Parts: sequence; structure tokens; C-alpha cells
Amino acid sequence: MVWTGLLVGILFGIILQRGRICFNSAYRDVLLFKDNYLLKFYTFTVGLQAILLVVFAKLKVLVLNPAPFNPIGNTIGAYIFGLGMVLAGGCASGVTYRIGEGMTTSWLAGLSFGLTAAAVQGGVLSFLREGITKFNVFAYHTSGIYMHSSGATLADVFKIDPLLMAIIFAAALWIYTFATKTTKRETKMDWRLAGVLLSALSVFAWWTSSHARRIYGLGITGGWVNIMNVLTTKAKVNWIGAEVLGIIIGAAISAVAGKEFKLRMPKNPITYVQVMIGGALMGLGAVLAGGCNIGHSLTGVPLMAISSIVSTIFFILGNWTMAWILFGRK
Amino acid sequence: MAKYEVTKLLDVRGEVCPVPDVETKRALKDMKSGEILCVWIDYPMSKERIPETVKSLGHEVLEIEEVGPSEWKIYIKVK
Repeated sequence: MVWTGLLVGILFGIILQRGRICFNSAYRDVLLFKDNYLLKFYTFTVGLQAILLVVFAKLKVLVLNPAPFNPIGNTIGAYIFGLGMVLAGGCASGVTYRIGEGMTTSWLAGLSFGLTAAAVQGGVLSFLREGITKFNVFAYHTSGIYMHSSGATLADVFKIDPLLMAIIFAAALWIYTFATKTTKRETKMDWRLAGVLLSALSVFAWWTSSHARRIYGLGITGGWVNIMNVLTTKAKVNWIGAEVLGIIIGAAISAVAGKEFKLRMPKNPITYVQVMIGGALMGLGAVLAGGCNIGHSLTGVPLMAISSIVSTIFFILGNWTMAWILFGRK
Repeated sequence: MAKYEVTKLLDVRGEVCPVPDVETKRALKDMKSGEILCVWIDYPMSKERIPETVKSLGHEVLEIEEVGPSEWKIYIKVK
């Protein structure tokens, strides 16, 4: 069932490329350009996914698996990831889909991200991850909606039914989404369409991934780790590794079809050094945090996982810190 | 070719996101009213985002000209 990962990845890559979905931009544009276009996409899709995931879990199609909360990884790790994405010129998904568009800086950022993530996951730096994992806080669920031993969600905190919690959560996000002004942008894929397509893909991803014995939805970091392991050891390609390959292929197809493929190179070669440092910080931060902007922000926040909500806040704080250092000052 | 009296040409092709946007903002700040800035980009997202940012600052986008495969020149008149 590994091939379903490739299929999900290709579809994901097309949506990311057409929708220009980069969380580095989503977080940063609000601060630097007072532009909330991508943030609106984000709050819309999170609300929609929150309801869909719980509904499918109640129908026993999916079992949800919120990540355990880690007080160090979800704060310090996430903050490091946030700093790194600005230097790398894209978040984990932004860097990955831009590889397919011919952005050469993203090729190096992606390699550096994958290599560092693999080193922290199971290589020479794995002592860092092992040291932090000890602080994982698990919640024990008996409802059948969540994995028995997984992370706490808002529904656990407020002690209410997950579906009711998801509706309240979505309503709050959608009030922001539709009751405030959205920055205009001439795009190939409207943010609302991108949000609906991505929410549907998110459910499909969770379902197919579960059949490949990986109980989670869309992600990026684990896929990069798998690709590095496949390249350097006898490890086999798994669902998430195939998904990441699919993103690159899908984005390349979409970019070529839209006449947007081009080998892009910066005039100042120091940029390559900057993006590699950024990629390394992202790899370190993502593994310590237990996920990147896709695993946590796009998939974990709709699960209403406390770990993912805290991580996303620290991704944003790290992003704003580095954006201010690089671009914000006069 | 001399469609506009371009005061300053900003070539930000190949630059990492959001360098084109930031450089555009910085260039506009140093320019006088009525002058024309030409921003030369090769990234489609910049083509979509820069005009909106520039308009919100009160400047006028004269034209977005396609000059090659995935390459555009944005002409901006300073307010």
C-alpha cells in the first residue's frame, strides 16, 4: 500500500504548487506585509478538517492519533524550526514543493533538512531526541475515536465530546475567516477551493496511510527521514517517504503544465549557505518538536492536539523572530 | 522597449522568498513621487503578491509584463 502514499503526494504537490501554500509565508506575511491571504486558507481548512476527521472517526473509518505533548520539544524544538524556515526560504512543505518548481535554493535546503532530520531521528544526533522524548505526556483515551495512548486534545481539556469540540473550534476559526477582511490576490487556485481540496485529501491521506500501518495523516519530516535512510541504508520506502517523493513530482508536473518551471538561482551565492543553515535548523527543530508545519500545523491542529497547537504557536514565534531580524528592521 | 521612463530597475530573479517583496518595499521608500520602479521577477508567487502589497501602500501598478518563460516585469509608479 506504499503506492497510495505516492498518489496522495502527487495530489498534495499539485495543490501546494497551485495554491502557493507555504506556511513560512502564511505566518510571516501577516507581520511583514499585513497580508492575511494564506492565513485565511489555513484557518478555513483547519476548521473543515477538524469536523471531517472527527466525523470519519465516529463512523469508524479512521482512528485519530494526536501527538503526545512534549513541554521541551513543542516549545524549544518548534521555535528552532520557526527560525529555520525563514532562513531556508520556505517551511517543510514550501521547500519540498519548490524543489519541483526548479528553485535550486530549495534543493539544498531540502537536502540539509532531510539529512539533519535523519541524524536527529536515528543518527549521530539521536541522543538529543531521546533526551527529550522522556518528557512526553500521554493521555489515555477509551472512546475509540482517538488511539488509546496518544496526546491530549482540546476535547480532553474541556471534557466534552470531540465532535462538539470540533464544531466550536471550527466556528471560532471560521468567524475569523469570513467575518474579517481578506487580502486580495490574483491566484491560479482560490484559497477556499484549495482549502476544500486539501481537507478532502487530508482525510484520504489518513485512511490510506492507516492501511500502510502508519496511523497519521499528511506529513513531511518523516518522509524526508525515510528518503535519507533509503538512500544510505537498505531501508525500504514507506508511505510517508513515497508521499514526499510524490509532492516533488506533483509540484513539477503542475509547474511545467502552468509554464512556471524554471531553474532559479540567486545572484549572491551566500544565499545557498543561508538556506542550508535554515534547512539544518528545520531538521533539528522538526524532529525535536515531533513534526513540522504539516504534521503539526496542518494535520495536528485539526486534531485539536495540545502538542500541535503549542508547536504551531512556537513555529510562528520563531518565524516572526527571524523575519524581523532579516527583513523587518529599517 | 522604452515603454515607461523607468527610474530604477530592481532585478530580483532567483532570490529566495520574500526577498523580492522586501527589496521592492525598500526601493519604493527611497524613491520620489512620480518615479517609476521596474521589478524584474521570475517567481509566480511574487507576481501575485507584490502588486497587492504595493497597492495597499498607495502606489500605482502600471503593468505586469511577461518578458520570458516564468519571468515578469512589474512597473510601479511611486505615489
